[in-house]
Amino acid sequence: MTRIIRIIAPLAGFAAFATLGAAPAAAQDAVVSSAKAAGQVGEQADGYLGIRGSVSAEIRQAVDALNIRRRAAYTELAGKRGVTVQDVAAVTGCQTLRGRVSQGQIYRIGTGDWQTKGAGAISLPDYCAAAGN
Amino acid sequence: MRQWTSFGWWLGWRASALPLAIAASGCIQVRAPEKPIEINLNVKIQQEVVVRLQQDAKDLIDNNPELFPQ
Repeated sequence: MTRIIRIIAPLAGFAAFATLGAAPAAAQDAVVSSAKAAGQVGEQADGYLGIRGSVSAEIRQAVDALNIRRRAAYTELAGKRGVTVQDVAAVTGCQTLRGRVSQGQIYRIGTGDWQTKGAGAISLPDYCAAAGN
Repeated sequence: MRQWTSFGWWLGWRASALPLAIAASGCIQVRAPEKPIEINLNVKIQQEVVVRLQQDAKDLIDNNPELFPQ
């Protein structure tokens, strides 16, 4: 009986640890959304989220976690299509800059400064125009 | 006999602890990566590749909206 407890106890501890470690995806999204609205986080042409200035650890962790998950999705698609992860990420970046940045939110192209989206469309990198939309 | 029993227990304990330790270290890495992602902001990409991946990229966003919160 004691043995069983000795085996189960660490397992239970690990389960609790794993639950704590995995921040809920919905919470990450909410943190990033509000940071975007506050002009602290924005989309980049390279297909990832970027941070402007210094932000809280919570925001940084949420951005890192989302970027890691994005990279996993890019990697999977790149493997299927026989292209580099960077290719997939960049083409996805064209899409996010084209249609998923709201007026007032920030974005960045290349190593340039962060810009704030105005009423008009974002002036995209040349390569984005290749397929029209 | 008693020695062997306790050795067996020790062995079993080690065998079960090892995968847990590996799994636990994996968790820590995901949560607080030392080097999150090396992002090359200077994108160089061939237009032909853009054309080929355009629809895939749209689908990727549509199918994973939680990765692209607005």
